[in-house]
This record gives sequence, C-alpha cells and structure tokens, in this order.
Amino acid sequence: MSANRPPPPISTMLMRGLFEENPIFRLALSLCPAVAVTTSVKNGLMLGCAVLVVQVLSSMSGSLVKHVINPKIRIPVFTLIIAIWVSAMDMILAAYFADIYQQVGLYVKLIVAFAIIISRMELFSMKHSVVPSFWDGLGMGLGFLVGLVLAGAFRELLGNGSIFGIAVLPFKPLLLVVLPAGGFFTIGLIMALFNWVDVKRGHKLPSGGGGAHG
Amino acid sequence: MTCVSGKVVNQAPPSAREMMVIAAGLAVVCLFAAIILGSLYFVTQPAKEHNLHAREETMIRGLLGLSAQARIQEVRRYLKSEGKELQVIYLTNKKLAQLELDGKEVSAVAVPDDVAATSSAELKDEWVKKQIKVGNPEHLKYAGRFFIGMEGTQPAGYVVEGVTLGFKNWVRFFMAIDSTYTIQGVEIIEHEEDPGLGAEIVQRYFKNQFAGRSLADIEKISVTKDPLPAEWQAALEQLGDMPFRPWAEKYREMLPKNPNIHAITGSTISSVAVTTGIKTALANFRKRMNIVGSYL
Repeated sequence: MSANRPPPPISTMLMRGLFEENPIFRLALSLCPAVAVTTSVKNGLMLGCAVLVVQVLSSMSGSLVKHVINPKIRIPVFTLIIAIWVSAMDMILAAYFADIYQQVGLYVKLIVAFAIIISRMELFSMKHSVVPSFWDGLGMGLGFLVGLVLAGAFRELLGNGSIFGIAVLPFKPLLLVVLPAGGFFTIGLIMALFNWVDVKRGHKLPSGGGGAHG
Repeated sequence: MTCVSGKVVNQAPPSAREMMVIAAGLAVVCLFAAIILGSLYFVTQPAKEHNLHAREETMIRGLLGLSAQARIQEVRRYLKSEGKELQVIYLTNKKLAQLELDGKEVSAVAVPDDVAATSSAELKDEWVKKQIKVGNPEHLKYAGRFFIGMEGTQPAGYVVEGVTLGFKNWVRFFMAIDSTYTIQGVEIIEHEEDPGLGAEIVQRYFKNQFAGRSLADIEKISVTKDPLPAEWQAALEQLGDMPFRPWAEKYREMLPKNPNIHAITGSTISSVAVTTGIKTALANFRKRMNIVGSYL
C-alpha cells in the first residue's frame, strides 16, 4: 500500500460526505435501498441511522486491521467486517427496538451489500489511521442519512400529504411520487439540485462516469 | 470504479509461508467475529424472545378482542415416534396427555403449577421431555400449538398457530376462531415473501377476507383472480380499527357476495398458500379439539 498521506482536515472529511461526494446524489451508490425505503421520512431516518453506525464501525475496524491483513484478501475481510457489524446491528435492533425492527428489519440485513460502505473502506480506511477513518465514516454515513431523509420527506409530503406520519396537507398532491417509479424521479430531482448548487458555486459538472451500484 | 491497489499486478505467486500468514490473518478475523457475535447473541437473545412473546400476546388479545383481565392459556402439541408407533402428546394448563392416533389415552399426568404458569416454551419443552420417556431424544418433537383466551373460567376464543409454504419460505400465521369454528381474524406473524408482491398478505385487504367465514365456508373456499370489488375492500380495511363482532354485524350481507378469496395481483402463489394453510389449520384444529377438549 502507498505510504500514509496526512488526512484532510475534519471539516473537509465531514462535508465531503454530505455534499461533494454525497453517496446517493453525487456518487450514485446504493440507489436501490435509497429508492426502496424512502416512502416515508421515518423509514429513511431509521435505515439512515443503521447505515451510519455500520459505516463508522466498519471504517474504523478496516483501518485497525489494515496492517495485519494481506492486501490480497482485503475484500473478503472487508465483507466479513461489514457482515459482523450488520449482524450486530440486526441483533441489537431486534432486541431493544422491536417496533423499528418490524419496519426496517428486512432492509437492515441488506446493508451488508451496500456499495458505499466497502468503497469507503477501500478508498479511505486502507490509507488512513483510525481517527480520520472515524470522521470519514461519519461524514459519509451522515451524507447517506441526510439523503434518505431528504428523499423520504419529499416523497411522503408529496405522495401522502404527511411528514413523520402526521398529516400536514389535507390532500395527496402527487401520489406517483410515493410509488417505486416516483423514487427514481425524486432521486433524479435532488441530484439535479445538488448539481445546480455545485455549478452556482463555480464547480464543473461531474463527468458521468460512475453509474449506479447495488 | 477505479481500483486503488494497482500494486497487486505482476507479482510472483505467494510462497507457502505467505499463504499460511494470509490464512492465519483470516482465521484471526473470523475468531474476533465469532467472539463479538457470540457475546452479542448471548446478551440480546433474552430481550428478543421477550419482545416476541409480548408481540404474540398483543396479537392474540387483539384478534380475540379480549378484555384486560382475560388470561391466555397455551396448548402445545408434540409427536412421539418410536419404531412404527406414532403418539400425540398434548400439554395443557392442567394435563399432560399421551394419546394414540385414534385418541385412545395412554397416560395423563397433572401439570405442576410452575410449568403451567411459565411463558417460556423452553421450560415447558424440557419438562415434557422429562415426563415422556423416549430412547432417542429425536423421537419426541414439538409439533405446534394453539392458545385459548379465557374470560374468567369461560373460553372466549381460540388462536391457532399455523405454517404454510409460501413463495420462497415458510409463512407463519395466527388464526383466531370462536367456539363454532368461525374465523374471527388472521394475522401473518412471519414471512419472507417479496415486498410489494407476496408481502401484501399482511395487508388487511387480503388477510381480513378470511374473517367471518364458518368451517363449511372455508372447506369449499377457493382463490379467484377476479379483481377485489372496491366496496368489499373498503369493508375489509375496517376490521382492525373495529373489533370483529360489530364488524361482522355491519357487513353481514357482504360475505355471501364474496364467497371466494381474491388473490393479490401478481402473487397468486402466496395467496393460494395462505388459503391452503388456513384450510388445513382449521380442519386439523377441529379434529384435535375433539380429542384435547377433555383435558382443558
């Protein structure tokens, strides 16, 4: 592995996940859960929190074991680390947050295959020590959380006329938005908003390289 | 996505020593994983079981519309198979009855109070295993259960647990019935059907279609692919907000108009699976009640 580079300042690491490299709206990673669960703010918030915890713990553990693990087997080890923390989350939610688990239990197990988590371990934790990995994981996890909550709020408000299950509008403005197809429209619209803000701030548009992953 | 570690390319194959180190590294990680998960399981399992039990109890009370003072009794059923001989064992709150398949009693012992009172299935199973002597522990198996909702000393209704094979995996459900074997409601407890398709079996517009149907209705019921009439759907959505009896009274004339179960669009297999499960569970329960009734 390349020699350790000094980590960027904390604020950069935090903001990068939220804006410049927002997992959903800039990197277009893990779009499948982003579309599937964001039918309400509550669902988005709960899955977002689960992802945040798993991301932080996985990034830190990845950074801890990077000197012990031969780079050739880093992928199975990363997968194993993520699987450990996801199983741990699954057990803790089932035991102490039974109501929430009823709602998101199905999706929590899927976090194992979220592209964003393994990509942060590969791109960041392998090159930096534990503390910067914590901040990077926190930033990315928060970015994912904010993304899910934004999309959830937009869809619940327009599709169902409510926020957090509380009716705020007397009608349902646009039912389509809460249906699966509406999830894609929502993500696309917010993505456009992110790009627009970026252009306003004088950045170039990102080239369309990435593509969606799991 | 670009790969950061271009270094791996053009390397000699690893030596035996290197491979040993890699394997040891993986083993250490797995060992840590096992320790973390094992201890977490140990800590969280009791809480998880408690939640499950509390949820089941709320469900049973809701299905039967029990009052706060009502008590729930559990009846567990076991199968004993030794050689070609098959025996059924029922554990009620009062008796542990060992019976031939035709219902002839082999033995019946009184159940101590602590076993009758406990909510732990594990404790009950252990006690039964001590009472019923089998050569090979594999030959005595738990085979299902049902609950009796007791208002004072009178049974107010029964909740039968059933399983049926869904699209991919087992679907576990509760079926509430009164003493005339009329279904009062169905709840899906556990399933792994596809979200948006088979998972719709948990929705009121599907599961409530069974409510209000008698034993004779269920025996000849079938699944239809006709669209669910809007009026009937609206009525089905009411059950749950409304207790069963007023609901059945209010929509009495709707049931004969909809004699069959309307399948979920795109999920006929899941719909048929639940319907078959309910049919089987009800028929079996009637047969079993004839036998176990005298031990309650």
